[in-house]
Formats: sequence, C-alpha cells, structure tokens
Amino acid sequence: MSNTLRPYLSAVRSTLTAALTLENFSSQVVERHNKPEVEVGGSKEVLLNPLTISRNENERVLIESSVNSIRLSIKIKQADEIERILCHKFARFMMQRAESFIVLRRKPVPGYDISFLITNGHTETMLKHKIVDFIIHFMEEVDKEISEMKLSLNARARVVAESYLTTIILETGSFFMYPTSIIN
Amino acid sequence: MILLEPHNVIIQTTLSEKIARPSSLDVQFVDYDNVRFHLSTPERKTAVLLSMSIRCWGDLVKYGALDILKREYGSLLKDAAEPEYNVSLEIDLEQVPPEGEARESFIKSVSLLKRNALAAPFEHAFRTQKELEASGSGQGELMQVHYRDEEAIYVQASADRVTVIFSTVFREETDRVFGKVFLQEFVDARRLPTIQNAPQVLYSNRDAPLEIRHVPGLRDTEDIGYVTFVLFPRHFANAAVSEGTISHIQLFRDYLHYHIKCSKAYMHSRMRHRVSEFQKVLNRAKTEVAAPAERKTVSGRTLVSR
Amino acid sequence: MSVLAPIICDNGTGFSKIGFAGNSDPSFVFPTAIATRGPASQASRGPSVPAKPGHLASKRGVEDLDFFIGDEAVANAKTPGYAVNYPIRHGIIDNWDYMERYWEQVIFKYLRSEPEDHYFLLTEPPLNPPENREQIAEIFFESFNIKGLYIAVQAVLALAASWSSNRVTDRTLTGTVIDSGDGVTHVIPCAEGYVIGSAIKHIPIAGRDITQFVLNLMRERGEMASVPPEDQLRVAGKVKENYSYVCQDIVKEFRKYDAEPYKYFERYEGEHSVTGRKYGLDVGYERFLAPEIFFNPEIYSSDFLTPLPEVVDGVIQQSPIDVRRGLYKNIVLSGGSTMFQHFGQRLKRDLKHLVDQRLEATAVASGSVQRSSGVEVEVISHKRQRYAVWYGGSLLADLPGFYQACHTKAQYDEIGPSICRRYQIFGSAT
Repeated sequence: MSNTLRPYLSAVRSTLTAALTLENFSSQVVERHNKPEVEVGGSKEVLLNPLTISRNENERVLIESSVNSIRLSIKIKQADEIERILCHKFARFMMQRAESFIVLRRKPVPGYDISFLITNGHTETMLKHKIVDFIIHFMEEVDKEISEMKLSLNARARVVAESYLTTIILETGSFFMYPTSIIN
Repeated sequence: MILLEPHNVIIQTTLSEKIARPSSLDVQFVDYDNVRFHLSTPERKTAVLLSMSIRCWGDLVKYGALDILKREYGSLLKDAAEPEYNVSLEIDLEQVPPEGEARESFIKSVSLLKRNALAAPFEHAFRTQKELEASGSGQGELMQVHYRDEEAIYVQASADRVTVIFSTVFREETDRVFGKVFLQEFVDARRLPTIQNAPQVLYSNRDAPLEIRHVPGLRDTEDIGYVTFVLFPRHFANAAVSEGTISHIQLFRDYLHYHIKCSKAYMHSRMRHRVSEFQKVLNRAKTEVAAPAERKTVSGRTLVSR
Repeated sequence: MSVLAPIICDNGTGFSKIGFAGNSDPSFVFPTAIATRGPASQASRGPSVPAKPGHLASKRGVEDLDFFIGDEAVANAKTPGYAVNYPIRHGIIDNWDYMERYWEQVIFKYLRSEPEDHYFLLTEPPLNPPENREQIAEIFFESFNIKGLYIAVQAVLALAASWSSNRVTDRTLTGTVIDSGDGVTHVIPCAEGYVIGSAIKHIPIAGRDITQFVLNLMRERGEMASVPPEDQLRVAGKVKENYSYVCQDIVKEFRKYDAEPYKYFERYEGEHSVTGRKYGLDVGYERFLAPEIFFNPEIYSSDFLTPLPEVVDGVIQQSPIDVRRGLYKNIVLSGGSTMFQHFGQRLKRDLKHLVDQRLEATAVASGSVQRSSGVEVEVISHKRQRYAVWYGGSLLADLPGFYQACHTKAQYDEIGPSICRRYQIFGSAT
C-alpha cells in the first residue's frame, strides 16, 4: 500500500514546491485591491493550468495555481460509510478552526474534502518548504487518523456491547469464566 | 460509567434530603423516554406527592402495570393521580422506615418508579412463557409499548422464549452510522465463548422482523432499525434474575444512545488533539519575525497597527 | 404532547448549578470538578493535555468513560490513579475535553434525560470570546444532538432573577449586577440585555476572603484556641454564613457590643469532625466586621482600597450617559456573598450619598439656580440571590418567547456554529 503512497506524496511535494513561486500582484480590475487571483478568477492571463494528481479514484489532489496564489484541494480516502462520516466530521472540525490555520480555506472546493489557499503573503512570512512539509504531513496523518478513529469506534462498540450482554448473563448466574477486563 | 443506572437520582437525593429535613417542595423533572416527574408537598410539609407522567401509560396499564405498582408500593399508591399525570405516590415522611438500610432500600424502591411501571409487559411476557411452556405450544399476545414518539418496544412470549423488539430511529446521519456499528457489535458479540449465554441479538435495518411485520403503521425508511433480543428462560429463571434482565433491557435504547454520544465526544477530543498537532507543524513554518519594538503613548497606551 | 422542560446549566468556576426550567431551585449543585484516571493534575496548570495522544494505545477505547464529576470527583480525589481537574478557570472554559465529558455525565447520569428531546440554556461570563460560544454549540449540537440552544450572559440572567422581587414593577433588562461568588466579585452594567463590556469592574474580594478575614479576627481574639486547626476554616465559614450581618455604622455597633455584650455575642457550638470532641466559641465583632470589608476594604487588604459603593458609582459613570439613570435605579445582587442581612440597604445608602454629593458639587460649580431633581438609587435584594443566575435562566426558559430565541438543531445544521455568536434578547417588558 505504501509503495504507491510514496510516489504519490513525492509527486504532490514537487508539484507544490514548483507551484509556490508566487509574487505580489495587484488586481488589474480594481485599483488598490490585491486579491488571490485563483479565487477571483477574473483575469485569465494570470491563471495557470490546474493540475490533478491522483493516487486512485478515491484519493486525489487538485492544485490550481495563479500568479499570486495557489489553491490545493485534497480528496481524502473514504472506503465506507463510517470513513465518510469521520472524514466529513474531521474536515469540518478543522475548517471550523481555520482562523488559526492561516493557509486553510473555510470551505472545500466542490468535489474535494478540504482545501488550502496559499497566497504570496503566506510565502513571504512563512518558510516555503515548511508549508509544503505541513501539507504533506497533513496528507499522511489524516488517513492514519481516520482509520484509527474507525478502529477505536469499532473497539468501543465491542466493549459496549460485551459489557451490556455480560451484565445480563452475570445476573443469570451462569457466569463461568467471565472476563474480568470487561467489568470496569 | 459504562452502564446506566435504573433509578432516578433526583428522586433519590431529594427524598433522602426531605426525610432528614422536611420542607415544602415543588419540583418537576424528567427521566429517559419522555417521562415527567413532579415532586410536591401540596398539603403539608411531611406528605410528599410524587407523580409520574409516562407516554405509554395506556399500553402499560393494559399489561398490568397497576398490579406491579400495587405490589411494589402498596398503600403509597394513590387511587386518583394528580391531574396531567398518570400515577401518583403519596409518601408520608413521618412513616418512612428508620434510618439505615431499610430506609435506603425504601428510597431506592421509590426512585425505581419508572422502571417498575415499564416492567409490566416484560413480567407479563415471562408469566405467559411459563404457561405456554407448560401447555407445550402457542404464542402469546404481541404487546406494543409506544414509549417514544417514533419508537416502540414489542414484546412477545412463545413456548421456549420471549422476544423483545426495539424499533430505533436515528435522527441524524452520524448517529445512524455510529448506531449501525454498535448494533453490529451487539449481534457479533455473542460469538465470543464467554457470553454465549447472553440473549441472542438480531439487527435489521429498514425491514421489520417477521414477528411484527403484520403490525400496521410501521415505517420502512432508511433511518429506522429493528433490534431483536431473544430471551431464553434462563434469563428470567427466578425473581432476582428477571428483575435484573428487565432493568437492563428497558434501558437498552438509552444505553445505545448514551454510547453513541460518548463516542462522538471521544472523537471530538481526538480531533482536538490532532488539530493542535497540525497547528504545531504549521507553526514551524512561521519565520521568526522580529516584533517591532512596542511603542507607547505618553499616557502608557500601546499603539496597534492594523 | 407537551414539550419537556428545558435544561438550565450554569457552570461556574467553583460550582455548577443544574436543573430544569420552571423550578425555583436547581436540582443539582456540585463542584465543577472532574476526576479522571491519569497523571496528576498538571493539566490544571498549563495548557490542556488531551486525554489520549492518538495512537493505538487507546484501542480498547473506553478509558475516557472512566471518570467522576461533582461531589464524587472530589470524594475520589484521594483514590490512587485519579486526578481532579477543574475545567473552568475564571469563569471561562479552559479544557474542552474535560468539559465535554463533564456535560456527558451531567446529562446522562444526573439529569437522566435524552438530550435530543430537550432545549438547553447555558450561561457564560461577560466578555466570553465568541469562539467559545461556537465551541459550546459544536459540542451540544454535534455530540449531543440537542433540540435547541440558548447561551445567556450570567449578568443578564441575574437581572431577570430580580423580577421575582416584589419591589420590581417593570421587567427591564437594564441595571447593574453585583455578582459576588467565592473567588471574585464583578460589577457589571447591562443596558437592555446587553453588557456594557468596557465598564465592567472586578473586585478581588469575595467569599473566600471574608472567611479568611473572620478566621484572622477570631484568631486574634483567641477564640480559635479551642478549635482544632483542621476545622478552623470551616468554623469561620459557618460563622460567616450564620451570624454575619451588615451594620449601618461601625463605631456605634462597637459601642453597642461593649455596652451589652451578652445581648449581642453569640455562642457557636461545634464538634470535632474526627474525635467528636465538643467545643464552643463566642462570636463577637466578626458578626458585623466580616461583610464590612466590602465597604471598608482597608480593614482586610492593603492593596485594594476602593469601597464597593465607589466602584459601583465608577462603573455607572463610565457607562453611556443615557442609561445611567436606569443603572442607578436597578442595582441587582447575585451570588452567595451578597446574602448578608442589610447588605442592600447599606449599599444603597452609601451610593446615594456619593451621588447626592456629586449633584451638590455640580450645582455649586455651575452656580445656576436650577436644581437637579435627583437621581433615584435602588438596590434590589431578593430571595433567590444565592442561585440568581440559575433562577433567572429558569424563569426565562419558562417564557413562551424562549423557544423562538433559541437556535435549533436545523438552523445549526444549515448555518454552522457561527449561528451562536448572536442571540436575541427576549423576555423584558420594555
């Protein structure tokens, strides 16, 4: 599994590093405005071709770049209903706190789960390669976190079901070799 | 706290307090499943009136709830319930048992009022099962307890078992998914050798089990599920055992929802942790911008640049 | 069918007051404490430490259910393996993980209610950051799926609680709230249900300080000699609660006591909590000196010297000029440390004196012949002062307007947590 993960991540890393060549660029439409062009989308000449890196049909990254900003959207792996819910919850939880995650977009681009918006302002005040590191770290961890959450949910459900049923047997009186670990 | 307790804490604490120090009282509170309580002293400070309103009272009376309450509370049970409530108990604080274990168990039994009322269909089914077992075959009446607006408990006795079916509705998508995981584990848990003796649990989504398929007005939407417990005679072999089984089984829905909510809270704390980790990684990217020397006005106010 | 009563949850730094709307007293009052399994309470100091760092160590996954709250938490403080934490600091929620679990048990163990069936009214201190409201909303709507939520400012609820007093004729939400609990005293001006944040003042004198002061006084007089050391603070607390009152003039009061000590001195009888040995002590000047530290703080502290009436006057003077009359006219007391007898009268007298003096000075300075008609000063004391905030919540949530003012689950799902940044003020008759 991780043998496709590595090239996937390194592709994202090099594309992102290349895309992060941003410069200050004032709006051509409104005087004294300076907006992320990738969001405004008004002037075609400053937008670059968007690019998708896919690992498989469920996991992909969309990088849209422009002269002064790039937008990176991630589709996170969701194998089943539980992962879908957990992923949705997690992404929402993070976007709720977008204020402190300077580069996080409050809403994902349609078709994706979470989006980042990096502007020239960010690359000027932050170390570029560290931003890339952060995105890659996020991509690595988020899959792990979601599968761990799923595991823990299952484990929890098991304990809960076992302790409920165990109490009924315990009262039945036929408690041969009941597991002590359950009664806590 | 993994398991929920069957008794009501407010009744327990208030009563013990008032027995020690009688004073006038008028409080309303609730219990699971749309049960409302009213504790008051309408006449004098030492005569406490405890009234309960329960959604499915009509169903319960049909299955003998009054007999059970009479058995449990005897003369405490008032003939006419307080208006707007279904059943009332009058407790004379001057005649409670003396301090010690007797009083404790008296208070406890009063705080089990809801549990005792809801025990009616189960006790009825257990009795029916004994009769059917003796006669060898047949099926008991299908008892329906509509204890919540959209959910109901169905209890039916057969010659060799008692079937209890809960219909559960999840109002929210997350709850539905989590609920499914939990219910699946209930079904699977019995495979463990240690709890082979537990009641058999079946779970079906959307389609009602055969036993209740003929009941009119069943919904078949995605958000509804049916959980079936098959209780064998060993689960209600004697009085003590059947008491415990009843207490547990009637709290099943609340137990399930409690744990769904707890897991969501647990997910939240995990996410909080993970988000703060991410935050740390992102903060590493920030360059150390030398903060410009703080400037102050003569009066000591700071200037903030925007 | 009828709607189930809304749940009122007032989580304070020290104690949580929890109950159902429509009742006159909270069903539960217990410490806002949670005892969890884990390392000793370093979490209570520095930044919050999450319950479990994410790895598979938590695979069994129910460790987070192993905790106690309230009185049980305090009782379990000494149990090996458990550590007690106070998730609220200075009125503001500090550790959300603990708080979420605290609520979990409040709802399911103590209130025994299905949160999906209830509306909730929660309280927050003045100047609570709006992000905290969002976090509360996130917990209550997403974890507990509650029907609807209203978050009210404690001071406003205290004003609403004063409507129960028969001295209040119009149900207004304009007034000054003096909220004195165990740790700190706040003076909070409110105009039509909105807190005037810039004018709030805090006084570092509250219940704990009064108890300490009583203890000091009794030690100086040698009364405490017969009391075992571990009981002294508790005895001082009892003396404060049971015998203290506010006098109108200290000097006269001293004379009165000296002339007829037998009439005014009280006898306190106690029993040693472990050995059962009986002891008794005389309660004297402490009776009127204890609450006096609000009016003459110099007798207790050397760094805070402004008397309470002056603070209140200053707060009102800092508020916008058009609400000042309303603020003087409706000064409401809330919290256990305002329960002293005659506290209200004394405050009113001193404040009135300050206001009249200023009016006089203005009249003289302006040299005009026209006289001010005077400013009405009124301090409201009422029976529900101790749990005023909770009671105010219970009162408001019982009004029909409550359900309209709440944000419902559907609205939350539509708009998101930011919906809880704003709440409509309701219930006032003006």
